[in-house]
Amino acid sequence: MNKTSASSSLSSLDFRTKWVLLGLLAWIIIPWKGLEYGLFESTGSEILNAYAWKSVNTSFISLAVSLLFLLRPWKLHLKANLIDAAVSLVTFIVILFGAGLLNESLGYSAAIQLTFFLLIFSLALARMGFIQGDPFMTTAIVTIMASIAVFVLFPISTIFSKVVFLEDGTFTPMAFYKNLTSFGVARTLQNSLMLAVAVGMSSTFLGLCFSLFTVRITKRFKGLARIFSMLPIVTPPFVIGLSLILIFGRNGTINDGLLALFGTDGLFIGAGNEGWFHRSAYIYGFWGVFLAQTLSFTPICFMLLVGMVSTINPAVEEASVTMRASNSQTFSYVTLPLLRPGIANAFLLAVISSLADFGNPMVLGGDYDVLATEIYFSIVGAQLDYARASTLGILLLSFSLLAFVIQRQWIGKKSYVTVTGKGSGGYFQPLPAWVRGISTSVSLTWMLFTAVLYGSILLGGFVVNWGADYTPTLAHYEELWARGIGYGAWPSYITTLKFAAVGAPLTALMGLMIAYVTTRKRFIGRGVVDFSAMISFAIPGTVIGISYVLAFNTAPILINGTAIIIVISFIFKNMPVGIRSGISALSQIDKSLEEASLTQRASSIRTIFTIVLPLLRPAMISAIVFSFVKSMTTVSAIIFLVTADTQVATTYIMGRVEDGDYGQAVSYGSVLIVTMLIVIFLVEKFIGRSRVERA
Amino acid sequence: MKKHESSRVQLLNVVKSFGDNTVLHGIDLDIQAGSLTTLLGPSGCGKTTILRLIAGLELPTSGQVFLGDEDVSVLSASQRDVAMVFQSYALFPHMTVGQNVGYGLKMQGVGKEKREQSVKEALDSVGLDGFQPRYIDQMSGGQQQRVAVARALILEPKVMLFDEPLSNLDSKLRRQMREDIRRLQQELAVTSVYVTHDQDEALAVSDDVVVMKDGEIAQQGTPKELYLQPHTKFVATFMGDANIVQGEVIAGGEKSLLRIHNVEIATDKPMSTDLISKTIEIAIRPEALSLIPADDDAAGLPCTIVSRAYIGAAIEYSVKWNGQELFLVSATGNQEFAVGDTAKVLITPPGIAPIPE
Repeated sequence: MNKTSASSSLSSLDFRTKWVLLGLLAWIIIPWKGLEYGLFESTGSEILNAYAWKSVNTSFISLAVSLLFLLRPWKLHLKANLIDAAVSLVTFIVILFGAGLLNESLGYSAAIQLTFFLLIFSLALARMGFIQGDPFMTTAIVTIMASIAVFVLFPISTIFSKVVFLEDGTFTPMAFYKNLTSFGVARTLQNSLMLAVAVGMSSTFLGLCFSLFTVRITKRFKGLARIFSMLPIVTPPFVIGLSLILIFGRNGTINDGLLALFGTDGLFIGAGNEGWFHRSAYIYGFWGVFLAQTLSFTPICFMLLVGMVSTINPAVEEASVTMRASNSQTFSYVTLPLLRPGIANAFLLAVISSLADFGNPMVLGGDYDVLATEIYFSIVGAQLDYARASTLGILLLSFSLLAFVIQRQWIGKKSYVTVTGKGSGGYFQPLPAWVRGISTSVSLTWMLFTAVLYGSILLGGFVVNWGADYTPTLAHYEELWARGIGYGAWPSYITTLKFAAVGAPLTALMGLMIAYVTTRKRFIGRGVVDFSAMISFAIPGTVIGISYVLAFNTAPILINGTAIIIVISFIFKNMPVGIRSGISALSQIDKSLEEASLTQRASSIRTIFTIVLPLLRPAMISAIVFSFVKSMTTVSAIIFLVTADTQVATTYIMGRVEDGDYGQAVSYGSVLIVTMLIVIFLVEKFIGRSRVERA
Repeated sequence: MKKHESSRVQLLNVVKSFGDNTVLHGIDLDIQAGSLTTLLGPSGCGKTTILRLIAGLELPTSGQVFLGDEDVSVLSASQRDVAMVFQSYALFPHMTVGQNVGYGLKMQGVGKEKREQSVKEALDSVGLDGFQPRYIDQMSGGQQQRVAVARALILEPKVMLFDEPLSNLDSKLRRQMREDIRRLQQELAVTSVYVTHDQDEALAVSDDVVVMKDGEIAQQGTPKELYLQPHTKFVATFMGDANIVQGEVIAGGEKSLLRIHNVEIATDKPMSTDLISKTIEIAIRPEALSLIPADDDAAGLPCTIVSRAYIGAAIEYSVKWNGQELFLVSATGNQEFAVGDTAKVLITPPGIAPIPE
């Protein structure tokens, strides 16, 4: 046993020297500074000038510290590990901040060397007994904390600093107040909140009706319920809005119908007479966005409520009836109050989703400004008002965080349903007639309406010009897909698949790691990781977009316009998906399984690979699939970050919408939806479910 | 299976805190090689923490842990030569019985053939050879328990740790399993540390019992010592039933003489002469008390019968003496008394322990 520990300390000594040597190698052969046009499109001299040794720059700090590590004059010191840790951490911070101050953007070699300093820091910490001296877990935790700091906390902090510093860097705290009270901000905020509350109420109501309908009224639509639960996942956020335009828009089906009846020369209007109906754009504005968001978020509320409705113990309703309560009284005084936490939860989730939604207000908003779109309009085109965008971003972030904190702290913990434990059998009482009537009619209407909307998306791509010319055509599809791989929709489609495929496994890994360390490990700084992970659930995509633009458009980390920033934004925007499935999967796995593996002489890294990961496989697959799909449909964050080279499917579609080319927009939209359905189907079919899931 | 090389386990002044919460306050513990020692105590007393410290699943805040001569205080679980049977068994649900039992050997790089042979032997020792290809969810609770034991045995650990291994079994199976565990442990002569909150289980399987309370060791000794000579009221009442009565010390020294009411009792227990003529508390086991008619001449405590319960092999009485209720067990066949009768309580050693706290 003594021999093992001696040899392990020897190998980790090698490890430290090894990383320093590799870092030095990178210092020599890889460019230190960031390349403005990327590695492949820069000229030879640009690349040459980016090398560490071509100019005086922060890389010499790295060089000096690396040489210091090779000598390690403190190696006999009692607290040598502490010194290792301190030196490497300080170097890491000094290089980042130094480069920021010197306006020097860091490149590949810098990234490599900074990573190595973090590694040395982690290993030194592990040897000081952090996480019971576990080098693998320590490295994982340090990596998580560093990436959260750089890609969540740092960007968020820049939107705060943007509103109190003027362009020239003078500190003016009153600037925030000035921006806050500037023209239009109050109205935009009011619009956003009103819309969010209205959408929250309507989608919760619809969700409740549909869950009562599927659980308590008829079993016939069980399969449909599954489809409805999938639709919001695979539907890009603005597609509902788009289909509303097809139906209700100026050239929409409804207008057409009314025109045919009551317009000039209409069916009910005598020949030659002026009709009393004209095309109108009533769908743009509050009601359009309200309708689109209600339709988009009802499935979310449904998913939440259907779980609660089906876990109500029938015995409590039976008890109520035996105490002479009528069905109606039982529903009002027993069933509904039991659902109250679920209803509040669904409401707040819909509020958060509505606040964050960018696509629908973008497509349907018209004059009705909301925070999410105003942030975008503040910085596109000639405006370029970063301070205003930041102010709006802070408002949006505060309100969605507020809703999220209420949801999580106050309501999330209340559940009357779980405390009753195992269901004791018995039968549900029939719902009162009025409840049956309302929820049946509402559900059927909603299903029909949704079917019409999705139908219009699918069909809209196959007619010449919806509203004007319904001649069947393949022109839109040909335009998008038949002009060769470098034209039409192909570049953005391939880019999207590529980004989503790279981002999805990383997102799942990051999410699961965070779930693992926050639920299974005790360490200093766990609160910070926990908190950051939590706020990542509530950060609207638009806020991520604006904060990334502000944070990564300047030194030290200048990655705007690259593919890297898009993949990173995917990772941190979709991370909650991974965290959530990780936490719920881990809560099913007994902690003693890992301990059993450790006492069987498996190291922690082998335990992760032989025990934890195989057991987490279903969670991992679902996290990968979901983040893949979400990456394909996201528009809010990414619209700030794409360039002509990194155009993705959603931004391409938004472009078509802005051009009024709805035919192409919906045909591309349907291709996206079908693509995602195929991906989900293939994964379920071929990767399948593991043995644990069945057990 | 062949006999293991087993080692002594020692904890020296071990303190363990979780944040501000100190759960072990300077534990000194010595567990002899080859013995089965039980850690017994109410929940939250720190017994499981001690087990986890020996396993290396927790590291001590201060103090040292020795396995044999080696200080393992800072070694992680995977570096220690111990094996553990978990309360939940912790069998890997995605592996077969064979893979579960062979896991530790595989981790150490033992070849497939040799591994299968060892798995066969280990499973055979718990009577489960042939079950290798089954998955865990196809095994009954008792079988899973045996697999867990086999998995721990196969590494021929110097120390085996059992964390309430029987708490998930029904009472009949529990009795059977505890005998099996004890038999295996004695055959292999492997040092074993066994955590339980069930005192019957502790008395039945142990060479040595360590009673714990609030993160400290209340008393360590053989089951018989703990039962017959508890050092504290806590130990006396935790290890079986005990009546605590006031009594006076008549004589001290090598042996002592006590008096309860008018009954004088000689004990083998040494007692400081300073205590002579002082009043102390005395723990009396129910079996040391018996009832005789009130008009009997023998010295006894006059009492009234408060309640009685027929439990088959014996009758349990509750009697009132001097304002205090006493609990006693009388074998069926002895003279019976009815509720409300007056009688005398006779006190006969052993089962009498002075507690000079």
